[in-house]
Amino acid sequence: MTMFLIKKADVGKIAQELGREYQVYGPMIEKGSGQTFFDRAEDVAEINLSAPIPSNPPKSVVFPQMERILSYEYDRTKNTVKMEPDYEVTPKALVGLRPCDLAGMLCLDRFFMGQEFVDEVYLNHRKKMFIVTNTCVTPFKQCFCVCTDSGPAAGEGYDLNLTDLGKEYLVEVGSEKGAALAAKLSLAPANDSHLALKKEKVDQSIAMFEDIAVDSKAWVSRVMNRVTTGFVKDDVWEYIGDQCFECGACTFVCPSCSCFNIADVNNTDCAGCADRLRTWDSCSYEGYSRMAGGHNPRKPVEDRRNKRFFCKLSYSQMKKYLRPGCVGCGRCAWVCPGDIGLPNVVTYVRREITG
Amino acid sequence: MNQKPGVCTFCGTGCGHFIGTENNRITRVYPSQNHPVSKGRLCVRGWNIHELLDTPERIKKPLVRADGGFKESSYDDAVARLVDALKKYPPESIGFLASPRSSNEEQYLLMKLARAAFKTNNISLDSDSGHRASLNVLHAGTGMAGMLGSIEEIRKAEFILVAGIDITRQNPIIGSEIHMARRAGAMVVTLDSRRTQIAKLSKKFLQVKPGANRLAVLALAKTIYDENLSDAAFLSAHTEGFEKFRHAFGLLPDNEVSDRTGIPAEEIKAVARDLAKAKSAMVFFSSGISGLDEDTIGFIYNLFLMAGKVGKEGCGVNPVAGLNNLQGGYDMGIAPDLLTGFQALEDTAVAKKFSAEWKADVPAATGAPIYTLLSDPSSKLKALVVVDHDEGIVRYADAIKKLDFVAYIGAFKNPFAEYAHVVLPIATYVQEDATFTNTERRIQYSMKKIEPEEGLLPGWKLYAMIAGKAGLSWKYAKVSDVMDEIARLTPTYAGVSHAKLSAGFGMQWPVDEKNPQGTRRFDIAQAGRKLSFYKVSDVFEVPAAKEQFPFLLMVGKAQHFWHQNNLMKKTHIPMREYNATLMDYPEGYVEICPRSAKEIGVRDRWPVRVVSPHGEMRVDVKVSEDVKPNTAYAPYFVQEMISRFLLGHTEVLRQGEDATIPVRIEKV
Repeated sequence: MTMFLIKKADVGKIAQELGREYQVYGPMIEKGSGQTFFDRAEDVAEINLSAPIPSNPPKSVVFPQMERILSYEYDRTKNTVKMEPDYEVTPKALVGLRPCDLAGMLCLDRFFMGQEFVDEVYLNHRKKMFIVTNTCVTPFKQCFCVCTDSGPAAGEGYDLNLTDLGKEYLVEVGSEKGAALAAKLSLAPANDSHLALKKEKVDQSIAMFEDIAVDSKAWVSRVMNRVTTGFVKDDVWEYIGDQCFECGACTFVCPSCSCFNIADVNNTDCAGCADRLRTWDSCSYEGYSRMAGGHNPRKPVEDRRNKRFFCKLSYSQMKKYLRPGCVGCGRCAWVCPGDIGLPNVVTYVRREITG
Repeated sequence: MNQKPGVCTFCGTGCGHFIGTENNRITRVYPSQNHPVSKGRLCVRGWNIHELLDTPERIKKPLVRADGGFKESSYDDAVARLVDALKKYPPESIGFLASPRSSNEEQYLLMKLARAAFKTNNISLDSDSGHRASLNVLHAGTGMAGMLGSIEEIRKAEFILVAGIDITRQNPIIGSEIHMARRAGAMVVTLDSRRTQIAKLSKKFLQVKPGANRLAVLALAKTIYDENLSDAAFLSAHTEGFEKFRHAFGLLPDNEVSDRTGIPAEEIKAVARDLAKAKSAMVFFSSGISGLDEDTIGFIYNLFLMAGKVGKEGCGVNPVAGLNNLQGGYDMGIAPDLLTGFQALEDTAVAKKFSAEWKADVPAATGAPIYTLLSDPSSKLKALVVVDHDEGIVRYADAIKKLDFVAYIGAFKNPFAEYAHVVLPIATYVQEDATFTNTERRIQYSMKKIEPEEGLLPGWKLYAMIAGKAGLSWKYAKVSDVMDEIARLTPTYAGVSHAKLSAGFGMQWPVDEKNPQGTRRFDIAQAGRKLSFYKVSDVFEVPAAKEQFPFLLMVGKAQHFWHQNNLMKKTHIPMREYNATLMDYPEGYVEICPRSAKEIGVRDRWPVRVVSPHGEMRVDVKVSEDVKPNTAYAPYFVQEMISRFLLGHTEVLRQGEDATIPVRIEKV
């Protein structure tokens, strides 16, 4: 593997160089509130690699909350329709992506592009993308990526991977694009001792989970077994369902949730014109699983919750994602008004086994 | 970064969010993690607010009535028509119906416009004005016309009573805080006739018969008194008028409580002991059509006062506003008898202060709320100005049609505009800097996110333009000047300015010299007065089912079709949820329990006829375990239900909680 070093003071040069060719996205701290966002940088100097895990996953870069994917014009007199796909095609660079968020993006890739049908809208956002990941040398309060095989260091899918070694960053190259950028920046080569230092940092980070990542004491693997085999009792799902506020937050903040809704909206600027919008959707909504004719296979809220955790924790979903659907970022626990983020659900299911 | 902080403008919780924009359009929303109220949470409505804010269903051009339809016009022409029309009438024939969604600045200027330019006190808030009942009780009792506690202190309460409010639906994030408190060990008790979500999440649930809330609260108070559990030292040091309230206890025979409330006497007693024992206790309720009446709120306040749970940390008698700036509307004096900050119009010193600041006399003549005028066939109302009507349904449509002149001012399309002679568009909440006051008195600043469409005025500029045409000269260079004027006239807002609000997450009034950073909750130590027990009635009749009308029907709200959905109908996802319910129950529904359904011989989604002594309606049945036998629940969201049935029961509905209608339900 090719590896380089970059001084801490120089690490901004990566984003700067990418800014010449790409729209650059990265973690930034909103000054008024102190909240970290993973967002488009108007100025690459805004990107802050030591910012805490962003409150939002990078999902919206490839799968925006609300996106116009098509506009059409219907001419009633001629009975003709003009349709134009509306794809965003500017190449994008994600700088400072956390490993869990990269894992989430890989799940999205496999959902949108890895099956019989390739989603062109997604593909247009995703192709030509440059990804720079950032190893978590300390975990955050709500993290549990160690339980979902998605951190604290990224294993695949990046062009460059950064690890903070103290005074400098180790830069691991994951692709030809990455190698080209490293060459352009004339980075100093790194050796095995740096790699060993990285391993030490990662091990230290894992050891810190016990004290720092206190929000989450999940036992994911055991629960995956229960969820897959359908052994979880109805009353556990009911207990969870009773606490669901049906807000959709868990799905919106989830790096791997991919469900969407399509709505056609009249464009008031022109008669017969309409925009086709794609918006985030959520399995927590009753109307989401309702079928034409009124039948709803998942009408009770507990059945809808059960569906979500099946998506995140079952082996059958793993066949699609080639990894667990949950990436251990803990954001669902942050935003849930019912306090049934995934770690708590894991706890409730586990209680069935361990009492 | 493209994340602009703001405040969610759906309900009165006032959650913090960030709005993302692209090409001057709203494209996304994300919760604000460090916001003290919402702490990173939003509900289904809040998570979809960007869909509303990007809707094409806007009013973008001034319209005037011509040849039976509307014709596009200019602000100049439309405003001139409005002013000319209003000038034709004496003040008592003019009315202003304000929106509980408008910002404080817009509310204030509309109030000033009505009084200074058109000399009328006929001004009131549209929809859910029942909040006034709560403010009356709390103002009379403590001097604070707003929530005594604070959302931030919910987790400090050892005991929480949720009385007759489906809080996880109406104000979900407050519901979430209560749920979190419960999970941390608080004793949460729900008192309701329906098994709501919060009832399921509570430690104790008292499923009271419809219309018997007041009786249940009285029984709680009586237990505290009988068992000598009240805080005697607190009572004598800080309160007055307990003797009068005590009189009510004698009127309540112990053996009748259980029968009339439907709750076993021991359960009530146990809850009373829980309340008395707790170091801190809060109660949440709402007033109005699906909430409680003033008298019941008086009983609740008195109960918490005698238990010594007012004015301390983790305590609070907390009315919950269903609409984002309902509290702000009252704060801005949108009521016939109020000026800003709950200052009485009839107080001559106050009126003089306003007249001097306005350089125009505050009218002294008595005004009336608009819906009172519309429901009164002998009313003199001829001309009406309506702002941003919130509901998809127009009540009293027949009376409105008979008016000589109606002007509609608003940002979004609304059926009310169909009755107008002049329609004036204004910018949306995100197209101008604005402040909103949430249900815990938190005044929050929401910065402008996008520019208004070309030529479109924000509300405050439009009102200044109307005032100008009416002959007054209002000189506001910017919207923050309006807040400065509010601060000069309003003791509770004295220390408020946009500059101060724009840093941080808002301030809870009173904001004054003594409390420059605001006041989290009512504090007994700073009260400077004794707290009075509220004067309550001593009539405890509960609505009784009769042989011909064996069901007690309650009316209320439901999640997605909340407020008949004018705003929700302009979204995609919440709209789909609303449609799903409508497709299942196209004519609306009445919820009854499986046993009742069996007795009537109907199943879920079968049609029934609901007959009362005053009218009847055809709806579908929703079979649910959440109501008890012989009670029924109807959320009001279908036009037919409202206009054909409920409005026939205006008198009953006005009484709030006792909006319990005895009905018969027949299979059709």
